[in-house]
Amino acid sequence: MALIQVHSKMSDVITSTPDIIPVINRFGILLGTGDKTITEICASHNLDPEFLLCIINTYINEEYFPERALKSFCASTIISYLEKTYKSYQLFQLPNIERHFEFLIGRSGNNNNLGLMKRFFDELKTELMSRIHNDITTWFPCVRNMESGLSQENVDVDCSTNIIDKLNDLKHMFILHLSGEYEPNLCYGVIAAIISLEKDIRQNDRIRNRILLPLYKSLAQPN
Amino acid sequence: MRKNDINAYIFVPDSITTIGLKYLLREYFEIDAITINQPLDNDSFCDSSQMYLIITTSQLFASNLDFFIPRRSRTIILSEENSDDTFIINIHCDESTIIDKIERIIASINIPTESMRQSSLTQREIDVLRLIAKGYINKEIAEKLNISFNTVLSHRKNITTKLGIKSASGLGFYAIMNGYISESDLTNSLA
Repeated sequence: MALIQVHSKMSDVITSTPDIIPVINRFGILLGTGDKTITEICASHNLDPEFLLCIINTYINEEYFPERALKSFCASTIISYLEKTYKSYQLFQLPNIERHFEFLIGRSGNNNNLGLMKRFFDELKTELMSRIHNDITTWFPCVRNMESGLSQENVDVDCSTNIIDKLNDLKHMFILHLSGEYEPNLCYGVIAAIISLEKDIRQNDRIRNRILLPLYKSLAQPN
Repeated sequence: MRKNDINAYIFVPDSITTIGLKYLLREYFEIDAITINQPLDNDSFCDSSQMYLIITTSQLFASNLDFFIPRRSRTIILSEENSDDTFIINIHCDESTIIDKIERIIASINIPTESMRQSSLTQREIDVLRLIAKGYINKEIAEKLNISFNTVLSHRKNITTKLGIKSASGLGFYAIMNGYISESDLTNSLA
């Protein structure tokens, strides 16, 4: 897909890529954008258009990663975005999957496989929440302090692909291996929510691991 | 869409052609091609799977015959002229003709082997799956089944390819869903 520019209309971006909606919501941009451009929307929300563009383009183009541009932003800007992302996972995306899963299990008779898959989801959710907790309570404050010139002890950062691998596994359990009775529409709801979360985490991991982590390492070992 | 299993290597002198070929392969065949910038030799190039293709120009083909002749059935040659040869593409053709030709070449290479066609697990793979699901690590699995560490890795790779499940706990849940282990086995492995 073509890169979004500062003069692109936000409504065109949303129409062509509706799954960008949760991403722009994190910046406080809600639907009802009229015909405003990215520049105009950013001006009214007090946002840096260059940063918003980097995030949107990174999200909608899986092959595109403006590493140099992203590294030009300060660590606290990146952290602030990642914090909003984590909040979105905790408040909306994870509960959304759980809600759909519970409806699906409740309406699918005695399908034991769905119960097992829900347990697998619970396991990966615990892992994700643990990583979010460590980032928010330990790593991010450490990077912020380092950026402010305060000395800090180094912290261990989890850069494994375990969570993405497990979301991918769960997706395949549904698509390749689901058996027994189940309610198709509710099942679609669960799969769509899992795929959306998987894409979101994959894109954010690129920002977390390829932008923030090198910034942190350079702050931890100046010169 | 699942990515094509073929590895593609582009060995052409100019960037515009390289970018165009990469785009075509990515957009129409889900292949992420690798650019090669230096002369190829038999020692450095290793693609034992045979699931690969190389795209080069007639000039580079002619100047690297030792390398290309053994790989003739995997090499697409970009030419200035039309040819009946399946593996020669006229660079002046229109886009759809080039795509059709690449599609035919890929179809001729992309013939699944017997093991790839077989989607169900072999008995040995089931043995390995059961042990993974019970929480054993690769070294322990090798000892228990009296096979080498590399053989375990190979079985694991095949299991993941066939099932689309990579994580040990994901395989554990799959094993219960299909009756390979009991729920208490998984509970014990997670404990």
